[in-house]
Amino acid sequence: MSVRVVNLSFSYKNFTLKVEALKFESAKITAIVGPNGAGKTTFLKCIGAVLPASKGSLFIDGRDIMSLRSQERARLIGYVPQEHDTVFNYQVADFVLMGRAAYISPFALPSQEDIKAAEEALEFVGLSEYTGRSISELSSGERRLVLIARALAQKSAILLMDEPTTFLDPKHETEVLQLVRKLAIEKQKTILVTLHSLEMAVQYADSMVFMKNGEVVASGRPDEIFQEPLLESVYGMRMKILDWNGRKLVLR
Amino acid sequence: MIGQASKRGKAWRVFFLALPLLLFLISLSIGSYAISPGGLYKTVISLFSPSSHPEVPDAYRDILLRIRLPRLLLAVAIGAALSVSGASLQALFKNPLVNEYILGISSGAAFGAALSLVFLGRAFPPQIGAFVFAFVAVGVVLLISGQAESHFISLLLTGIIVTAFFSALLSLVEFFASPYVLQALFFWLMGSLSLASWKDLAISLPLIAVGLILLFLLRWRLNVLSMSDEEARSLGVNVRREKMLVIAATTLITAAGTSIVGIIGWVGFIVPHFVRLMFGADNRLVIPMSAAMGASIMLVADDIIRGVSALEIPIGIFTSLVGIPIFLALLKKTKKVWL
Amino acid sequence: MNEIRPSSLRNAVVPWGIVPILLLAAAVFSWAARPGQKPGLRDTLGRNVAIPPRAERILSLQPEITRILIALGAGERLVGLDYFVKRNDHLFKIIFPEGAQLPVVSQPDESLNRELVVRLDPDVIFCSPTEQQVPDSIERSLGIPVAAVASMGRFDKLLEEIELVGALTGLEERAGELVRYFRRKVRFITDSVGPLPEEEKPVVYLAFWSSLVRTPVFYEPVDTAGGRNIAENLLPSFSGAIGTIVNLEQILKWDPEIILIHGNYLPGERQVTVEGVSSDARLRSVRAVRSKKVYYTFGFWYWWDPAGVLAETLYLARLFHPEKFGRLDLEKEGNAIFETFYRKKNIFSTLLKTLDFDDWTSL
Repeated sequence: MSVRVVNLSFSYKNFTLKVEALKFESAKITAIVGPNGAGKTTFLKCIGAVLPASKGSLFIDGRDIMSLRSQERARLIGYVPQEHDTVFNYQVADFVLMGRAAYISPFALPSQEDIKAAEEALEFVGLSEYTGRSISELSSGERRLVLIARALAQKSAILLMDEPTTFLDPKHETEVLQLVRKLAIEKQKTILVTLHSLEMAVQYADSMVFMKNGEVVASGRPDEIFQEPLLESVYGMRMKILDWNGRKLVLR
Repeated sequence: MIGQASKRGKAWRVFFLALPLLLFLISLSIGSYAISPGGLYKTVISLFSPSSHPEVPDAYRDILLRIRLPRLLLAVAIGAALSVSGASLQALFKNPLVNEYILGISSGAAFGAALSLVFLGRAFPPQIGAFVFAFVAVGVVLLISGQAESHFISLLLTGIIVTAFFSALLSLVEFFASPYVLQALFFWLMGSLSLASWKDLAISLPLIAVGLILLFLLRWRLNVLSMSDEEARSLGVNVRREKMLVIAATTLITAAGTSIVGIIGWVGFIVPHFVRLMFGADNRLVIPMSAAMGASIMLVADDIIRGVSALEIPIGIFTSLVGIPIFLALLKKTKKVWL
Repeated sequence: MNEIRPSSLRNAVVPWGIVPILLLAAAVFSWAARPGQKPGLRDTLGRNVAIPPRAERILSLQPEITRILIALGAGERLVGLDYFVKRNDHLFKIIFPEGAQLPVVSQPDESLNRELVVRLDPDVIFCSPTEQQVPDSIERSLGIPVAAVASMGRFDKLLEEIELVGALTGLEERAGELVRYFRRKVRFITDSVGPLPEEEKPVVYLAFWSSLVRTPVFYEPVDTAGGRNIAENLLPSFSGAIGTIVNLEQILKWDPEIILIHGNYLPGERQVTVEGVSSDARLRSVRAVRSKKVYYTFGFWYWWDPAGVLAETLYLARLFHPEKFGRLDLEKEGNAIFETFYRKKNIFSTLLKTLDFDDWTSL
């Protein structure tokens, strides 16, 4: 499933997002990085039709899906938000089940198939034991996993994840990223993640996109583009990249 | 097990669903005009075969058929309507403190009824005016706040403003009316089941039924709609269209009910709270349980009012008297995560 | 220089010290009590009002009192009116055409134009007891005595009001005349009705205020006319009110012989009508409906008109006991009563026409 962005733009107050051309490799993880306010989340939301792009096309397997109904779109693209405000204390199982909304007509109830999809999604993220718990009882790490499970239940080929590791402790950070890798490899999902941690991005991503001021500054494989001059121009400060046993570390 | 409650929960669910029926039967025997259970039984039989119990006085049949039955049906309908309305809007607004009058329905209805009473006099039952302007008020709120696209705070604020506007209009109508004409209006505004008749029910009951069925069918969808707009959209929901549908349905049932019985507050706010406490937040359960519990509460309240004395305390006042302390107690117990 | 021992000092100081304290206390108390030179009036809400002995400028927001003032011939003392007598009263324009010039001081929502009141500078204000907290609030803010009075459905209270207003305006003689006239008429009716055992008094239900379920807890015309108000002495809806709300079943339980519907509403404005009640399927087992004894009666019209209520009592007496009042020409009698009170002819005929009285009964 190839994903290609062409001439996407979105304006809001003083901020303009403009991406002229970008390709995302199928069944691979692409990390979108950049300083705060670069437009990473906005970009993600535009692709996921969470925000309405003012113009542009999004080609999936050669088909422009920008004008698709949200129901059809949701079957192609799943979006995992950074945070979820718990207003109503749903059970984990019911929460994940909501991911099936694109397959259930407004007046219908989830079918056995939907329930199975939700159960499988929970199993994949390792939370099968948690079906009966309420989301308020979960730690933030577990909640992230539940959000991912919900998007998984959508069975979309493309997954967008907005800062899935923010506010997590190192152990959970790793868990989530390993899960993301598992999703790309086992489930062949095309995954776009925004990450604030450069090191994580380098470690886990197959491809990286650097953004600054609403534009794409560079994109490509980490071993090709992850260089100090690029980092300095994007982040506005000198950084040192160290190589340690094949892993890249960034010092400031 | 997704979507299935425990065995114990199941027993409670069955109980609460059956409760309105049970209360309905009991309520048939309560009233100022004392009819013994035996007399009640004979009266019911004689309704189906008039010749079987000739000793049953006409008054028994009239009371059962024309006074108690419509009144109880109205109580059930209103209780269910207001509770389901409240629950649906709470999901939509992602705020358990929302009630069914949030969109300005009650003030629009009050104004419509007053307008009708003053200018159309006896010719028109005030219900029609109440109904029409309940919709006008909601329409204005939606129009001004931009079709419920986003920013529910703005929707809420607009609701408050429109409510204030119609209240001002109401005062203007009062200015032109004689207080004697308005007596009927104030009596209605207090919220009362006392004059329930089949004529009123013939109009409101079908409308309430339609709205309830709609919301019942949408009950799982409400879960998704209770997510943020962004999330709901990403999950594949046509947020704007479905929200409008829910709002239309809730407006329909609230207006249909309010136009007959006046303003009965707190039911739509408190019942869903209790239901969520007992059965969780999943609207597949919350909606039908709210209907059942709302109906039960109205029946009990009406039984108390009818059974205690010859005097008629308007049920709207009754529910406020009981509802406000409960609301305060709930506020105290509340944590960050609502139910 | 004098050596004063402590104990004798105390014995000397204490009794002498107390005197100025007592004098001060007396002064304070009499100063606090100063608004009431007279003992004051205890109004219908139980408030003690310091009514002046004489009032030249009267603001009446209570139509009953307004009508009494006019009947006494003291209409020129009115400085202002409430909205009701000007806009909704059927007879005000006839009995007091000069009233058209008087300013309206209160609105239907019972708010008062306080600035206007201050400018009008009344010596006393009358209002309805249904306004509850308002009299106190006006008194506090304007410093003018406010009396909340109403007949509450009783003749003796109505007559007390006539006497009160008479004393207030120095027209005690005229007041006494009217009170005696009223009593004579009432006596005539009760004598004609004669002593009746309870069973012979028809049980009456009054459906007032545009509603089937709102009824006055006391309505003396019914009692005087030889009937029994079935809702008598139930609790009113709130203090200062005369009405209460009952439920439909209660009416069926009472099974009244006669139902009287509030007829003072203009025919086009009546929510509850004789036809409506007679054809209401819920009430078909009630005696009054079965025997077609559902009638209009006048009822309150923001409390009473003293002439009107007399005429109404006659009307009811004839309704309840037609055999005892066969020769009564109601219209003629009514006009005579109104003429006695308001010194104008044919007022009652006008009222009957306004209310479509011909449709009321065939009597």
